[in-house]
Amino acid sequence: MSSSPFLQEEEYAGGRFNWRLWRRILSHAAAHRRWLWTMIVSGMVLALVETLLPLSNAWLIDEAVAGRTDTAFKLYAAFYIVLVTMFSLLVWIFIRAAGHLATGIAFDLREQGFERLQELSFSYYDTRPTGWLVSRLTSDCTKISSLLPWFMLDLSWGACFLVGISVAMFLLDWQLALWVLVIVPPLSMVSWYFQRKLLRSSRLVRRTNSIITGVYNEGLMGVRTTQALAREQESLEEFQQQSGDMKRYAIRNSLQSAVYLPCIISLGAVGVGMALWKGGVQIQGGTDLSLGNLIAFMQYAVLFSMPIQEIAARITDLQAAQAAAERIQGLIETVPEIRDNPEVQAAIADAPLGGPEDGGLAKIHTIEFKHVDFWYKPDEPVLIDFNLSIAEGQTIALVGSTGGGKTTIASLAARFYEPQRGEILLDGVEYRKRSLHWYQSQLGVVLQTPHLFAGTIRENIRYGCLEATDSEIEQAAKTVNAHSFISENEGGYEAEVGEGGTRLSVGQRQLIALARAVLADPQVFIMDEATSSVDTETEQLIQAAIDTALKGRIAFVIAHRLSTIRGADRILVIDHGRIVEQGTHRELLQNQGRYWRLYTRQEAEEAESRMGL
Amino acid sequence: MFDRLHTIWGLLEGQRLRYLAALVALLVAAMLLYAVVIVPQVVLDGVLTDEIKEGSLPERVGLWLLGGREFLSENLWVAAVAVVGLTLLAAIATYFRGRWVAIAAESVIQRLRDRLHGHLNCLPVTWHDQAETGDTLQRCTSDVDTLRNFLAMQIIEIGRALAMMLIPLPLMLMMDVRMTIASVVFLPFIIVSSLFFFGRVKTIFRGKDEAEGRLTACVNENLTGIRVVRAFARQEFEQEKFYSRNDDHRRLDYKLYAVLSWFWAASDELCFLQKAVVFILGAWWVAVGSLEIGTYYFFIAAVSMYIWPVRMMGRLLAELGKAVVAADRVHEILESPIEVVTGSEIPSHGSLAGSVQFDGVTFAHAQTPVLENVQFNLSAGRTLAVVGPSGSGKSTIINLLLRFYDPDVGVVRVDGVDITTLDRQAHRGRMAVVMQDPFLYSRTIHDNIALSRRGATDEEVHLATRVACIHDSILEFDKGYETVVGERGVTLSGGQRQRVAIARALLQEPDILVLDDALSAVDTRTERLILEAMRDRHGKQTTIVIAHRLSTLTAADDIIVLDHGGIIQRGTHETLIAEDGMYRRLWEIQTTIESTEEEGRA
Repeated sequence: MSSSPFLQEEEYAGGRFNWRLWRRILSHAAAHRRWLWTMIVSGMVLALVETLLPLSNAWLIDEAVAGRTDTAFKLYAAFYIVLVTMFSLLVWIFIRAAGHLATGIAFDLREQGFERLQELSFSYYDTRPTGWLVSRLTSDCTKISSLLPWFMLDLSWGACFLVGISVAMFLLDWQLALWVLVIVPPLSMVSWYFQRKLLRSSRLVRRTNSIITGVYNEGLMGVRTTQALAREQESLEEFQQQSGDMKRYAIRNSLQSAVYLPCIISLGAVGVGMALWKGGVQIQGGTDLSLGNLIAFMQYAVLFSMPIQEIAARITDLQAAQAAAERIQGLIETVPEIRDNPEVQAAIADAPLGGPEDGGLAKIHTIEFKHVDFWYKPDEPVLIDFNLSIAEGQTIALVGSTGGGKTTIASLAARFYEPQRGEILLDGVEYRKRSLHWYQSQLGVVLQTPHLFAGTIRENIRYGCLEATDSEIEQAAKTVNAHSFISENEGGYEAEVGEGGTRLSVGQRQLIALARAVLADPQVFIMDEATSSVDTETEQLIQAAIDTALKGRIAFVIAHRLSTIRGADRILVIDHGRIVEQGTHRELLQNQGRYWRLYTRQEAEEAESRMGL
Repeated sequence: MFDRLHTIWGLLEGQRLRYLAALVALLVAAMLLYAVVIVPQVVLDGVLTDEIKEGSLPERVGLWLLGGREFLSENLWVAAVAVVGLTLLAAIATYFRGRWVAIAAESVIQRLRDRLHGHLNCLPVTWHDQAETGDTLQRCTSDVDTLRNFLAMQIIEIGRALAMMLIPLPLMLMMDVRMTIASVVFLPFIIVSSLFFFGRVKTIFRGKDEAEGRLTACVNENLTGIRVVRAFARQEFEQEKFYSRNDDHRRLDYKLYAVLSWFWAASDELCFLQKAVVFILGAWWVAVGSLEIGTYYFFIAAVSMYIWPVRMMGRLLAELGKAVVAADRVHEILESPIEVVTGSEIPSHGSLAGSVQFDGVTFAHAQTPVLENVQFNLSAGRTLAVVGPSGSGKSTIINLLLRFYDPDVGVVRVDGVDITTLDRQAHRGRMAVVMQDPFLYSRTIHDNIALSRRGATDEEVHLATRVACIHDSILEFDKGYETVVGERGVTLSGGQRQRVAIARALLQEPDILVLDDALSAVDTRTERLILEAMRDRHGKQTTIVIAHRLSTLTAADDIIVLDHGGIIQRGTHETLIAEDGMYRRLWEIQTTIESTEEEGRA
């Protein structure tokens, strides 16, 4: 087996700015187009206002220097007030627009990602840890959505502001403008150079950060083990290496910023100095440059670095988030391996109300595996030319050693996976021609390790049938003999089970999972070693309950203990993906084959211990 | 508020001097930046205007330093050089400020991260039972990041805002008192409005963070239970649930933007009004001849320099709110009491060590009685089997023995010593536990096993895996023992994990070995092989076995039957099946099959 692909995925994609990717991400924001335009237009108007501010200031100064306090003076003053009020209004508008945009995009990306995750096949989950997937929907979405509005704003504002300042300076005095604009090439180069450096070092920081998150997560999941092994100290020492790396990288990153900003300030000062020197010489020489305009030039020289810095920073931000965008886009665009094909989708659309959603038969009488081949990896076949037929009311027990393919058969029956070759037929109809949702709602599945959701016991049982009444829920619990322990527990049905059901014992979890499956009243029952952790007494009771529950249904049962499957109609001994033996318990024992050996070994051990050996 | 800022102050321990140095650098930089502004002022008043005036003290000093009026008007480039030179000095000071703050902040955060990790490792299992993993994880990651932003950036920005505001004050007063008053008249409003928003933003932040936590928890729940979701075709139900969380989060997130839009717009308006007052009043005074153009320039440049940092101070205070919330959340973890160190005695490692005694032990978990007056004695080297239905308290016995919990009444003794007087780690170190659903770390299989004993050789590891019947399975992996398992690696089946954990426990060569239903996911044949192999090691350690398959237990020296937290039967397998009671009933249930099979074979 290969080791995880995630470490590589954490590596960020090449440095190129991927416009196509961002356009695709933006296409998710199509519903928020008006907010997008609001941001862009706000940015432009803002740039205009900010260009006009030093100008109006210059006019005011020239009026003042000339000693005039007439109408023009008051007009400029009023104009200035109007500009600043417009500025505030724009701020109000673009922040709200950014809010709509950011939260809207995050919402949509999450919604689409979540929806896709509900459809993706288990083969997708098999190779990706839960935590990894969770952060796609949480931090990646937050990152992208909170960057986009500001990218839009700063790009439109920055570009317009640069143009605005340049135009204003050229209009005032083109020669002096050229002197001040001397700083633009070095300013751009310095910004670009440092942003590249910062991009690289901040990637390192983020990568280490995600490793640290992983270590915390593992620490939390494995805290019992760590404590039981008394290796708290070692665990901390290992962590300290990671946190030490993090510190080094973070400092490196900060030091780069610490050099970058002073460089920008100094270059801005060069612009101011140029304006002062060349402008001052001009005034001394008696040209028509006014004092007000000289002051405006000095203000522009300081302002010039702002849009350059912002644009460089926003592009870098976006580039830094590119990997996040790729991951979320990748998730949304992944096509589920198992889903309704177009014909089934059409059938669902045309199906009459009532009955199965795809308009097919509501009852499943037989399930047939025909020449089924299956593998998780091409070179390691799990099932080869597997055949099996099971009819309504029958219980099939799957027996055999670990890794023989029992679980795979159950997963295929549940359509968690689909065969690579051959077909599985429901009453003669290939199950890929039926609605996936319909079929899976006919299933009652009890997994090897029962999973409960955080919530009350009642909520967990109700998961089997959302419309069930309280009394139906209690009835289901009684069927699997879970009622007595539930009502004995404090809180009864309202008791919280904790995350993953951890406040209950494994046996209790199993009982709840069984009650849940029974409540679903499924046509097909699939149990994967479900009873193996329940204590003998409870198991006996469950066995009785299941015998009733399985009546009239198609059932697949996987169990280690032969006792739990003795009631099966047919027992399949599976080894290396094939049925090596099948028949009833009695028949198989008479065969004296594989099953008989399995069976007698267990019996012998029990007999041996009874004799005190 | 201030006691909470105190929490943050406490974090700075050891780095306070560096912060102080950064503060000095910051003050120097601020002073230099204002000195830069005096240069154009001197040029404007001394060189470019016709009438010669005395000027204020800073201006006269500036003119003198630039070489006097005559020299300067001949060599205007000197002014440009002064502007650039002073700014360069300021830039160097700014660099050092950035450097020192970065080192200080990262050191503080590294220590905080280490403390959190260490603390979480030591928090009692009862704490972890109560806590939601997602929430805890968020505290350790995003809340720590918030604090880091605060310590690395915001704290110094607040200092910068104060420096930029206070340093020009004396200069301004020397130049023109009227203009000084005009230059600061709006500042109190700016700061007060910031503080007003500060309160509101904090609660909204908390709400948003909680919504984010709920959202994360929802996704996490869904994804960990995805097989159940599919098995019941509950995608729509899950999507609705997610939709409402997602929508909640969007709503609260937007609320934040809405509040901030008012805050930023209002504070921008105030800032611009402040600038407008200086611009217009100053221009008026210039027009009427009572203010010099250079001094006017100084004021408009200065107000532009401090107004934004001051306005930022409002935002920073809002961030401070965020940081305080984050610090609170982190501290909730750090302040949770870790497992009380009640004992320090190091248990002795002896050849005959490992006897276990429960003496009248009573324990309740969350007010529900779990064990009542449990009493048993297990001599070193013997095997005890614990039998009983689900919820009868079997696992609690192990949790008590491991000191994950302490008994409410009664004493647990190992080698006759009350375990609460023992050093907890040393005590646990001599025990090995294999749980039903064992945890493997995200590392190689070899490391997962070898970490139970320092310096274990490959041979020893392989010996343990052979006993646990997992050696061959491991070799079947592409990378064999170097296969990475766990969250970031290959997923092992339940039975494989159990066997790896058994190998880990065996390698440890513990005095006491506890198997808590540790073979439940292993098939009978393999279970038998493992048990046989372990029986060969019999006598090496004290063993406690919990299992549902009685065949697993029959070889035990002593068996106790537990029901509703009390021991209802005890004895050996032989005495127990001779007795009328639960054990025999269980045994009969498990062996009835045989009798029917006898017939079948006949």
